[in-house]
Amino acid sequence: MSGQTDAAVSPLGRFVNALEEMVIAYILAAMTVITFVNVVLRYVFNHTILWGLEVTTILFAWLVLLGISYGFKRTAHLGVDAILNIVGPGPKRVMVLLSALACLVYGGLLMKGAWDYWAPFAGYQRTEGRIIPTGFDDRTRDQAFYHTEQVPVPFGGEFLAERFNMGESYDKLPRFIPYFVLPFGVALMLFRIIQATIGVLAGRRDSLIVSHEAEDAVAEARMAEN
Amino acid sequence: MQVVLLFTMVMGLLLIGTPIAVALGLSSIIFLLAFSDTSLASVAQSLYQAMEGHYTLLAIPFFILASSFMSTGGVAKRIIRFSIACVGHLRGGLAIAGVFACMIFAALSGSSPATVVAIGTIVIAAMKQAGYTKEFAAGVICNAGTLGILIPPSIVMVVYASATDVSVGRMFLAGVIPGLLAGFMLMVTIYVMAIVRDMPKGEWRGFGEIGASFLDALWGLMLIVIIMVGIYGIPGLTGAIFTPTEAAAVASVYAFVVAVFVYRDMGPLAARDGQGRKSLLQRPQALVTALFHRDTRNTLLDAARLTVMLMFIIANALILKHVLTDEQIPQSIARAMLDAGFGPIMFLVVVNVILLIGGQFMEPSGLIVIVAPLVFPIAIQLGIDPIHLGIIMVVNMEIGMITPPVGLNLFVTSGVAGMSMMAVVRAALPFLAVLFVFLIIVTYVPWLSTWLPTSRMGPEIITN
Amino acid sequence: EDGEIVVKFAHVVNATGHPKGVAADTLAGRVNDEMNGTMCMEVFPNSTLYDDDQVLEAMLQGDVQLAAPSLSKFETFTKVFRIFDLPFMFKNVDAVDAFQTSETGQAMKDSMQRRGLQGLQFWHNGMKQFSANVPLVSPADAQGLKFRVQPSDVLVAQMEALGASPQPMAFSEVYGALQTGVVDGQENTWSNIWGQKFFEVQDGTTETNHGIIDYLVVASVDWLDSLDPAVRDQFLTILEEVTVAGNAAVGDLDAQARQSILDAGGVIRELSDEERQAWVDVMKPVWEQFEGDVGADNIAAAQEINASM
Ligand code: NA
Ligand code: NA
Repeated sequence: MSGQTDAAVSPLGRFVNALEEMVIAYILAAMTVITFVNVVLRYVFNHTILWGLEVTTILFAWLVLLGISYGFKRTAHLGVDAILNIVGPGPKRVMVLLSALACLVYGGLLMKGAWDYWAPFAGYQRTEGRIIPTGFDDRTRDQAFYHTEQVPVPFGGEFLAERFNMGESYDKLPRFIPYFVLPFGVALMLFRIIQATIGVLAGRRDSLIVSHEAEDAVAEARMAEN
Repeated sequence: MQVVLLFTMVMGLLLIGTPIAVALGLSSIIFLLAFSDTSLASVAQSLYQAMEGHYTLLAIPFFILASSFMSTGGVAKRIIRFSIACVGHLRGGLAIAGVFACMIFAALSGSSPATVVAIGTIVIAAMKQAGYTKEFAAGVICNAGTLGILIPPSIVMVVYASATDVSVGRMFLAGVIPGLLAGFMLMVTIYVMAIVRDMPKGEWRGFGEIGASFLDALWGLMLIVIIMVGIYGIPGLTGAIFTPTEAAAVASVYAFVVAVFVYRDMGPLAARDGQGRKSLLQRPQALVTALFHRDTRNTLLDAARLTVMLMFIIANALILKHVLTDEQIPQSIARAMLDAGFGPIMFLVVVNVILLIGGQFMEPSGLIVIVAPLVFPIAIQLGIDPIHLGIIMVVNMEIGMITPPVGLNLFVTSGVAGMSMMAVVRAALPFLAVLFVFLIIVTYVPWLSTWLPTSRMGPEIITN
Repeated sequence: EDGEIVVKFAHVVNATGHPKGVAADTLAGRVNDEMNGTMCMEVFPNSTLYDDDQVLEAMLQGDVQLAAPSLSKFETFTKVFRIFDLPFMFKNVDAVDAFQTSETGQAMKDSMQRRGLQGLQFWHNGMKQFSANVPLVSPADAQGLKFRVQPSDVLVAQMEALGASPQPMAFSEVYGALQTGVVDGQENTWSNIWGQKFFEVQDGTTETNHGIIDYLVVASVDWLDSLDPAVRDQFLTILEEVTVAGNAAVGDLDAQARQSILDAGGVIRELSDEERQAWVDVMKPVWEQFEGDVGADNIAAAQEINASM
């Protein structure tokens, strides 16, 4: 990706990089394969995997929500740099720090929202307070009974029932499992935003955006040419 | 008044260099917290449901993936060879062939920048060699590339259909005639310019070359057939096989197979280390290893990254849409416009202006998600066909892509041609005029957009 | 206005022309009129705010106060509503109405209290019919066809009993899919078949009356508890009156829609008693599969009502 990256020198850093790339690449592959298989099953065998559509849309949400943090890490999100490129380095730094602050506020508010949305589905309490969490709300209604429409429970059904649903067995996958990507993905995003902000403060990064969406594709195409 | 505050906040954040998605999302959240009693949890719900709850938007990752496999997999260069064989011998022929190749590639790919990259990397270099100026070459491809979102399939059309609940299949059909018309107008303009300026022409290689290049490109061209037949069926032979969303997934799998096992320009069978392409018989294990080959993984990753970038923006634009709906803002704007006595013509002018200005700052999909739900109800009340409105919006997006300060095609072209942005802007200008004339034609001649979908699928019904 | 209790009512159909949309608007009109100063209702039609899958989550979150999803959307809260999806359980809409207003039916509205939802009123859409791109007269005609169904275990089992292949699909895609032949048929009420123009792209519609589409107006227990009792009673009384009037008008809307389809050149196939019995014989075994979910006593009560009609 074009933007600056925190060079992953340590073996751990390289491993995390490879893992993130692997995960989002093959989530996309899985979505494609499931959809393709369902078309073939329907047209050729007059059959459908009923959970195919729902699992594909869930994977879509996973792809994007996990990918957002990766985008912040690689400075890959789109923005408008017209003004940034005109002004001098001083004002530019102020503007970039302000936009980093905006990202931090966004990530923080979304973190509370993501927790509050997910928690009841897993039997945890949502936070009190409208903007700033001021403690946990013990009147939260447990919504662990809430399950997906078609997705079967692949394994561990008994454990899930005991741990989350007061022993009542699930006949479909409980929603807190697919929804988990929301607090998880937002937490990762917040972490990467904090890293990026530190990077800006330390002078290692000069903005949070790449405005040239296809720069990368172009660079690659040129390499292929040569 | 509040709504002015909201849009000012979005603009302010954008101009200081905040990511577009965050500018949209944060402004919406602050607005919700200040003026309504909606919870932060509902914002998180919107973010998640942007993907899980919008079945049509699934077409986006799939069309992006199909396009990636075709660009890296050698489909583009075979299409160009075929185009040159067809029209390369005319005066300005290579430029005309470039437009022609962009049109064909547009029929495979859902995105404009992808079209510029795929065709531009090869054609611009070839045009320079043949004696065209770099500026002319860049201007041609930069403009013709915008057809990527007008000729179906089109990611922007998918987004429009999803935001307004019109049929994706209808939108795709509606783009066919305007797409062909725009391409034709560009080719005629080039031909006239070529005669006036006495530009080079290539040699006529005969029908043999047309046939040979067609056969070589056939595997790639088949994809157009697969998508069209799959979505619309062949009367009397077969019904449709899949929905437009599924078509994109099928296209991805097909493009992967063609790239890796037929053209073998990428993957385990590709030529490398001085050795030629391997056949599947020599390396049967490729059937499995191809799935995990570095080339495959990189292509998947490219498509995934682009999907994430687009969807992050679209998801936040949907949060903004939720805010607008919650505050019933479209209704009040509609009322104001109707009270002011706006007729359809004045209304369409306003829409064009809003989109042309918005297109200067925003990425097309994000802009459509915000503007479409706003203007859609008004258009319906004024009796404007929703499909026609969609095509007008798409053409506006095309123009937005080649005008500064934010124009994806400008960025891509400047990269591909190795020119400064301003040089590309100047180069694109003469053809931009063509697109403007085209916009006016499309806006005031509705049947260009509506005739094909209506005759193929019956009159549009507005229900939900 | 300040001081008023804001009630957001989100639904997924047109504000006009659909029984639910019309009832929702009537309700809002009366609430805003008669409870001016205490309560104010905003209706969000056409899934503009939430669709049926998201609205119940949003309701438990407190972001929306009133909704009327179709009964198959409550699967995760209670299985008792599966009785309304079971094929040929009710003779006609009047039988459904009688069942719902009986004690059994009233009890069903309270069945989700422990999960935070309170059922308030049942709203009818009408009896379901089958349509397909080939003539459907005997159940064998449906064999091997692909039918779009709502994602519910009962409806999937019902289609499998017919030897047909059930296909889940977003409602907005159904018209295109029927037209191009991605799926062969669907089941719906007259008003939906007319409203969505499905008859245009089908060979014909067979008048099977094999099931019903019904909605349940719900609110969250927490929200209802938060209301002042007098306000709550006034609101619930208005809702009840709107319900009675709306449900009474459904028969007419249904007949109108049916007639409109005929006028527009749509084909409607009526079944003789024997022909209809053949469908019953094939589909009724599905009951056994779900008897545990809906309760044998509830089934018995439903049959008693059918017999008395
Ligand atoms: Na296209
Ligand atoms: Na622009």
